[in-house]
Parts: sequence; C-alpha cells; structure tokens
Amino acid sequence: MTKRLMLALAVALLAPPALAEIPAEQDSCLGCHGSDPSMSMDLPSGEKLPLFVDQASFGKSVHGDMLRCTDCHTDKADYPHESKPFKARRDVTVAYYEQCKKCHFSNYTKTLDGVHFQLAQQGNRQAALCVDCHGSHAIGRPAEPRTRVSDTCSNCHKKVFDVYAGSVHGKAVTQGNADVPVCTDCHRAHDVADPRAGALSLRTAEICGRCHTDPKLMKRYGLSTNVVETYLADFHGMAATLQKGKKGKGDRLAAGCTDCHGVHDIQRPNDPKSSVMQANLVKTCGKCHVGATADFPKAWMSHYEPSLKKSPLVWSVQLFYYVLIPFILVSLVLQIALHLWRVVVNR
Amino acid sequence: MSQEAVKSEAAYLVRFSAAQRVEHFVTMVDFVGLVATGLPQKFYTTGWAQWLIGAMGGIDSVRWIHRFFGIVLIVAVLWHGAGALRAILSRKVGFTMAVNRRDFTDAVKTLRYYLGLEDHPAAFDRYDYKQKWEYWSLMIGNVIMILSGLTLMYPAVVARMGPGEIIPAAKVAHSNEGLMAFLVITIWHVFNAHLHPDVFPFDASIFTGKISRERMQHEHPLELARAEGREPGGHGHQP
Repeated sequence: MTKRLMLALAVALLAPPALAEIPAEQDSCLGCHGSDPSMSMDLPSGEKLPLFVDQASFGKSVHGDMLRCTDCHTDKADYPHESKPFKARRDVTVAYYEQCKKCHFSNYTKTLDGVHFQLAQQGNRQAALCVDCHGSHAIGRPAEPRTRVSDTCSNCHKKVFDVYAGSVHGKAVTQGNADVPVCTDCHRAHDVADPRAGALSLRTAEICGRCHTDPKLMKRYGLSTNVVETYLADFHGMAATLQKGKKGKGDRLAAGCTDCHGVHDIQRPNDPKSSVMQANLVKTCGKCHVGATADFPKAWMSHYEPSLKKSPLVWSVQLFYYVLIPFILVSLVLQIALHLWRVVVNR
Repeated sequence: MSQEAVKSEAAYLVRFSAAQRVEHFVTMVDFVGLVATGLPQKFYTTGWAQWLIGAMGGIDSVRWIHRFFGIVLIVAVLWHGAGALRAILSRKVGFTMAVNRRDFTDAVKTLRYYLGLEDHPAAFDRYDYKQKWEYWSLMIGNVIMILSGLTLMYPAVVARMGPGEIIPAAKVAHSNEGLMAFLVITIWHVFNAHLHPDVFPFDASIFTGKISRERMQHEHPLELARAEGREPGGHGHQP
C-alpha cells in the first residue's frame, strides 16, 4: 500500500516536468479538456461542439510556448464555468474571434478594411474570421509551406482556386516554385479589397509590376521587365492611372493588366489558352472595343517600344518629330534673337 | 463728315472683317481649350497635369471636353476652308496667303538685315513671310491633328479600313504635333503679337479689325500703296 502510494507520489513529482513543457499546462483545463477526444457538447442546432484540445498539436503551434488557455478563453478562469447559450458552432467562432486583437491589433484593424469584414457587417455569417483562415489551437505560420495560403483560401473559394491551379502561376506553386504569387500576394491577407468594384484591376500595374519589373526575377524566366513602362506610356496606362480610385457607378474603366491577360487563368502569351495569344486577341480587345476586327489588335504594340523592325510606321513618325520639333524651335528662337539684336543695334 | 472723322479714317485702315475677327476669337478660345485638356494627358505623370485633370472633373470628363473642342476645330477649319475658297474664286480678294517666290527672297533679305548685311528689311504685302509660315504650319498642323484625333476617337473603325498600326502612329503624331503647335504658338505667336517691339504690349488689330496707317506703312507698305492707288515704292523699308 505504502509502496503504491510512494509510486503514485513519485509519478506525481516526476511527471509534471515532463508535461508542463507548455504554459497552458499551468491552467488545470487540460485535466478535463485534454484527456477525452470524444468530449463534446450538444448545441440546440443539433451540432456537436467538440471540447477536446489536442495538447500535442497546441504545444507545437505558434502559441504553444507562450499562451495559457485563459489568455484567449478569458471567461473560463473559474471552475465550474457556466456554459454560454450558444445556439450553433458558428456562434462560438463569432464570439471568440475578437480575442486575437488583444495581441494582433494591427492585423485586426487591417481586417476592418477588408471585404470579409464588410460582408460580416452586412450579416453574412460565413464571411471569414481570423480563425477560419488561421485555425484555433493548431495555428502555424500561415505561409509555411507557401502552398498553404492558396489551400487555405480554397476552403471557401474552391472554384477560383481550381482556375488558379491551372494558370501559369498556380501550376508553378504546386511544383514548389517560390517566385510565383499565391492569393495573398495580389489580394493581400487582412485588408482584402473587394475586387468586384474595379479598384483592384486599376492597381494591377503596381501589383503585377512588383514581380514583373524585378530584373533578377524576370531574368530567371526570360521575361521582359519593360511591360509596365510600355503599358503606362500608352493610352490604357494613362487612363487607368488617372482613374485610380475615382470611379463612379457605370463608368468604364481603362484596361489594366488582368483585363487582357486574365485574372486567375493567366497563361503564357504563347499558350493556346491565353487570352493574349494572337488567335484570341480580337475577342479579348472586343470585350471593350465594340466592333474590333482582325487588324485592330495591332493598335496595341504588345509591350514593345516602337522600332524599325516591330512597328516601322510608329517609329518613323516618332523620329520625324524628334528631328522636326527641335529644328523648328531652334530656328524660331534664333530668328527672334537676331531680330531683337538688330533692334538694339539700331538704337 | 466732320474734320476729325476724316482724320481718323485716314489714320486707321480696316485690316480684318468682322467674320475674320470672330474666326480668330473662336480659334483662340478653342486652342486654349484643346491645350488645357490635351497637354495634361501627354504629361499625365506630373503633378500639375494631375491637378488640372482633377480640377476639370477627372480624366473621363477631360476627354469629353477635349473631343468637344476638337469638333469645334473641325467645324472652324471647314468654315475657314470654305471662306478661303470663296475669296480665291471671287478674284477681288485673291489668295493672299499663297506662298510665292517673293516670300523666299523676302525671308533672305530680312535675315540679311538682321545680320547687318542689308540696310532695310524687305517691304511686305498683305501678309509677310513669317505670317504665311505660321498660317501654313498651323493649317497643316490642324489637318494632322484632326485626322489623327479622329483616328484615336474611332480606332475600331480605322482598323477596319487600314492597318492597325495606324492607331499608335496617330497617337505619336497627335501627341507630338500638339506639343509643337503649343510651343510654336507660345514662342512665335506670342512674340509677334505681344513682345515684338513694333506692337508691344499687344497687337489688337485682330480684335478691333483696325490697323494704323503708320503701322501699315511700316509693316505692309505694298498693300497700303495698292489700297491708296499708288505705285508701291522701292523694295525697301520706309522709315
């Protein structure tokens, strides 16, 4: 009997150091919530609310070595704790998600500008909250591995994800390429703008340009870094730049990168599926330019600077004025100067 | 007729008809409108251009204003062409803007005078070589601006009629020709109509229609002599 007691005491004394590797151990919560995987509560909606916390996976999470249970579950400090009148599992998520802002205040405020928060405000209870993307107890670094980002978004945005997965960027991501953009590189993570208003498409020159003007990055794929500059030098780039954020209802927006190249379905320009493939261009231009015919796409110089080889007519006209304007101006100014000099001499 | 009226009649001559004065005024206002809505589009990355475009209600309304002034220009050019044709056919007025060999000899003589190689500049008829140069430059410029402007306004229609490359070429032409017209007007026209020592600070004849006999004698002696039924004096300046 004493031997058994001694053994129990020994276990009790030796075990804590082994278990108390994480601060959460200091609360006695895991005594109940960490032992029975089937522990749950019936909700009026008919759903079961799981109450089990996997200590090992929480321990490995980013919070494992710093947070205690009651840091987030602030109202559960006492035992027995009263159960709140949650009707459905979503109620629990909505009630607890704002706990994150205590520490992650700047990212929380960013979400207030995001489309998910906007939808939640309008009463959409499915709109993503912190834990929907990050998880709750098993939170890891969000972009490790990188594919995790697009996988996370695909939980809700499955259709768009499938399109993206077939694009030149999406295919590369699944092959482990770290150069190509995942969802959040273009849409941002917390202040996700509503792309439907057109504001995002007007910013594409800047968004796409972050990678497509980077000489080191583009050299790896043999791509031009001149694409944004040539776009901005032409009509679409001018109009889109000036329209930025100042569009009223029913106004037509000037084409941004994605209007021609596609959004989630971007392909290489030489891919038969690409919207900027020669054979598909008339249709692509025709989206805005009603009545575009076979020769119309040549109105756009395909991101090339005018040259004798690529567009001799444009190049010649440009050269003509580069010579004529200085010649005319110098002649006129010279004549005025001579004239005035004569007037002064005559006096 | 009173003594003074006779005197003032002799002191001033009518140089421009009411119709010509109206035409100049419309062209002037139209030109300012086109430049104010056109140049900010060419230099859209600069602060002043963005401010100006914002003040005019954003790029979309600026484009509509620019098109409106463009159509006014088309009407003005057609109107002017019809008037010029009528004047040529009337024989009474003739084609006073026609460039002839004398304009080249006048230009050489005047430049030699500026350089101190001649004692007097050339004596001019109704329009001197500088005025003819400016007139024809801007007339050719207007045709280029109208054709390239219409191309940019209806790119799909133009691409149906000819090669698509015409459209970016028209953009380069429109943008550069417009800049050149602006510079020629601000440098050359402003000098000749405002800063020129003979007219400083302001040559008002295109607005009042009148010019002093003294100035006619100085600037257009050949026309004055013809108007007064005299044989023009020598090919030279009358001080």
